[in-house]
Amino acid sequence: MASSFGETDQVLVEEKSSTRIFTLNRPKQLNAASFTMVSRLLELFLACEEDPSVKLIILKGKGRAFCAGGDVAAVVRDITQGHWKLGANFFRREFILNYVMATYSKPQVSILNGIVMGGGAGVSIHGRFRVATENSLFAMPETALGLFPDVGASYFLSRLPGFFGEYVGLIGARLDGAEMLACGLATHFVLSEKLSLLEDALCKADSSDPAVISATISEFSLAPSLKEKSACHRLNIINKCFSRRTIEEIILALEREAADKEDEWISSTIQSLKKASPTSLKISLRSIREGRLQGVGKCLVREYRMVCNVMQGETSKDFFEGCRAILVDKDKNPKWEPSKLEQVTEDMVDRYFSKINDKDWEDLNLPRRLNIPPHAIAKL
Amino acid sequence: MEKVNFRTQVLTGHLQNHRHATTAATIYPSPCVSYVPPEISEQPFSFDVSTMRKLMDGHNLGDRDWLFNLMVQSKLFNPRLRGGKVFVVPDYNHSMEQQREITMKRIEYLLDHGAFEGWLTGKGPEAEMKKFALLEVIEIFDHSLAIKIGVHFFLWGGAIQFFGTKRHHDKWLRATENYLIKGCFAMTELGHGSNVRGIETTATYEANTGEFVINTPCESAQKYWIGGAANHATHTVVFSQLNVDGNNQGVHAFITQIRDENGNICPNIRIADCGHKIGLNGVDNGRIWFDNVRIPRENLLNSVADVSTDGKYLSAIKDPDQRFAAFLAPLTSGRVTIAVSAVYSAKISLAIAIRYSLTRRAFSITANGPELLLLDYPSHQRRLLPLLAKTYAMSFASNYLKLLYIKRSPQLIKTIHVVSSAFKATLTWHNMRTLQECREACGGQGLKTENRIGQMKGEYDVQSTFEGDNNVLMQQVSKALLAEYVAAKKRNKPFKELGLEHMNRSCPVIPAQLASSTLRSTQFQNDIFCLRERDLLNRFAAEVSQYQAHGESKESAFVVSYQVAEDLGKAFSDQAILQSAIEAENNVKDASLKNILALLRSMYVLVTLEEDAAFLRYGYLSTDNAAAVRKEVAKLCSEIRPQALALVSSFGIPDAFLSPIAFDWVAANSWSTVQN
Repeated sequence: MASSFGETDQVLVEEKSSTRIFTLNRPKQLNAASFTMVSRLLELFLACEEDPSVKLIILKGKGRAFCAGGDVAAVVRDITQGHWKLGANFFRREFILNYVMATYSKPQVSILNGIVMGGGAGVSIHGRFRVATENSLFAMPETALGLFPDVGASYFLSRLPGFFGEYVGLIGARLDGAEMLACGLATHFVLSEKLSLLEDALCKADSSDPAVISATISEFSLAPSLKEKSACHRLNIINKCFSRRTIEEIILALEREAADKEDEWISSTIQSLKKASPTSLKISLRSIREGRLQGVGKCLVREYRMVCNVMQGETSKDFFEGCRAILVDKDKNPKWEPSKLEQVTEDMVDRYFSKINDKDWEDLNLPRRLNIPPHAIAKL
Repeated sequence: MEKVNFRTQVLTGHLQNHRHATTAATIYPSPCVSYVPPEISEQPFSFDVSTMRKLMDGHNLGDRDWLFNLMVQSKLFNPRLRGGKVFVVPDYNHSMEQQREITMKRIEYLLDHGAFEGWLTGKGPEAEMKKFALLEVIEIFDHSLAIKIGVHFFLWGGAIQFFGTKRHHDKWLRATENYLIKGCFAMTELGHGSNVRGIETTATYEANTGEFVINTPCESAQKYWIGGAANHATHTVVFSQLNVDGNNQGVHAFITQIRDENGNICPNIRIADCGHKIGLNGVDNGRIWFDNVRIPRENLLNSVADVSTDGKYLSAIKDPDQRFAAFLAPLTSGRVTIAVSAVYSAKISLAIAIRYSLTRRAFSITANGPELLLLDYPSHQRRLLPLLAKTYAMSFASNYLKLLYIKRSPQLIKTIHVVSSAFKATLTWHNMRTLQECREACGGQGLKTENRIGQMKGEYDVQSTFEGDNNVLMQQVSKALLAEYVAAKKRNKPFKELGLEHMNRSCPVIPAQLASSTLRSTQFQNDIFCLRERDLLNRFAAEVSQYQAHGESKESAFVVSYQVAEDLGKAFSDQAILQSAIEAENNVKDASLKNILALLRSMYVLVTLEEDAAFLRYGYLSTDNAAAVRKEVAKLCSEIRPQALALVSSFGIPDAFLSPIAFDWVAANSWSTVQN
């Protein structure tokens, strides 16, 4: 069945004994997740769950990216040419895929040999095993785009150690493979030259047992050392500042640290916060804080409400402005509105978390997933 | 449809399992013992739970979530993975000393992360509401932690704020907020608790040195149960009989240092431990003796009365009764926080017990049929759902009490005193009863400390005693109502306070036949509660005046009239709770919320009618009507049953603060967790 789709297919499928290997196949677009790709993945995952001959799924990307995110440019095009609800279709499908992966009864091994951003994190981090390499580059860059870390990021970022998740999500910090492993975003680190051997070994293992698969990957993995300037060495200061109640207090705490000593890392962190959309920062922080107290399903339902409010653009149109400045015109100079943090009131933030006032709109309706083994839920 | 499918699946499982059992000795997993999350098996919610949470928590939701976050992310809060979820709950298997030390460490962590900013230096209602919200979140984690913080900020800090003047505020408030000093509150003695006016510790002014000399004259005067005194406190507010110039001026409060900055006990102070307790072992309760401890004149907290350098007693309040009342005013904040925390404790236990009852099955009632969910038994509904409805009503009552306290003014002092006394007693009694019922409703699982409810019985038992014994408080409520009654009758003026305005109207009439619709109407519910309060107040007044006519003193008349007094106190409290529930309901616009709140309100009233013998004893309800009430309670149970999950989900208590039996208790207890 899989072979009939040919090269133009956005997801390539290989069957190797009880293993299914899915390869994201839009290398020119850095494997950006389109509606077609997301739909195809969802269909494949659901079919494999039913198929007793499938024991393991490997997900990887073609070319230098694993997946650089959702195809946001296409979404914005749809919205500007039609209606925001066309965008909602994309996110609904994407979030359901994230949920299915997060509650998947069979192990998923994602090979993160390249760029993993936004939606790319959504199709990998929720799975049981995440293999980073020396080529991995992870980021949730949404706040610079006028969006917020979605695809269930309020669940997985909030479960990183201390307040590292706030740091990664608000700053859009870039992490390499070693850092991903250190903070728990990745479960293993394997050099890219070993990947094809790893794939063969996994197929041979012929098992659904997480312990067996973990042991198999461990045979190829090594413990990379963190680069000297890694944010992972800064956990104390990150916890101290990013645990604060509000964005304003976080910035204040960072500035206090900066006043004590000249430090490039702190000043660039402050710079990133000041460049990001003020609305995005505030809704992102609240989303992560609520997410830390909720299950992955509730996180996705909340994020869907939020993303619909973002697309509807009634409170702020920063998402469109961000896409214009970063993706379309590429002037990297977005004009946020409201432009200052203090102009984004508690009331405005509240609106992003409420239902859309539209009789045709519905909350994200998650599929009912029965008999989920407990190890399927606690992946992070 | 999915529900039907699921039931068929369960049924098939049973049948198959049954066959296996007869043919093979192997144990097969069957669907009836696999865990299905109630979110999947229950009907979709009929109202928006986040809106309901907003209504229940009432204020500072973002601040609450932030503090939950702070606790969840720190190893100090003892996170444990059970059944695929992380739970944070103190390790009550720690020794008393370990519990005390970890409690102090948790305080330091919260301090370092700015949790207490503005608790004493912040001004205005917003700062106060935020402080309340954060304390509520803290006590959802652990009562010891909340009490240790409460003693430092609300008792010690509150005494400085309310009894002290600028010189005390400048010197102590910021230092207290930053824990540069650790405060405690030395009021209770071995020989005197609720009767504060009888305490025996003395403070004698010496004009030649300008000092007070604090002394413990006898063993019964040792300060007792002083939270923080045994290990950590450096300073205390000590309540003593003030002697100036050979005259006793009654109870006053003084600041005394009891430990130096290194934690060594100061000279002339003796401290001993109160020892292991039935709960709250994270709080280091101690006993203190003062052996002629000298403190400067400025350490008298002098907002109500002062002593001049040359030894003159000065007070703006001449009446010693009023002066004493002014001293006790700060204890009100303690009663407010206790009442509120009792409701949160009840919420935790109900959330756990109800979630468990929606996933645990026992006995089938048809041959080969599936076993029934615990909450599908009407008897189980009757045990838990009325307590749930009461908890909702009391949650609104505690919100009302907080707001009343926040807008306090000299005119409101009496109301605040009476309402806070009544609610503190009623809500804490309700909590203990709820904990016991929920513990039993969880069966054997309720006995495990990790499931919280059983442990909480010990942790919260103290609530009916500290900050005023519940029975004493309820007597004060009845006395205050009688005073209001006497004043109104004497001056022939209408009632204007304490919710007694209904006494000015004509006596409500209860219909001879109570239809379901009548029983559920606010009108009827109001009428019958007013009728009870009105009649009991009349009876109480008549009884007391009869005793007085026979030559008894007012005090001894109160003592012998305790039965009606008790009924009256309850009547007042129930009525005030109902009023706040009705008000909350009236302020809601959303129809789906209004519907469920009306059901809960009716349940609250009808179950009160059913349980309080006073309605039959004094004939407010005929026996026929009492039977109708009972029937209606059962009907309400079945109507509230489908909303049970949504109702406990609206409590806003994060999963991590519930317990393993509230979630996948099969996985939490599986063999694989033993192996790891």
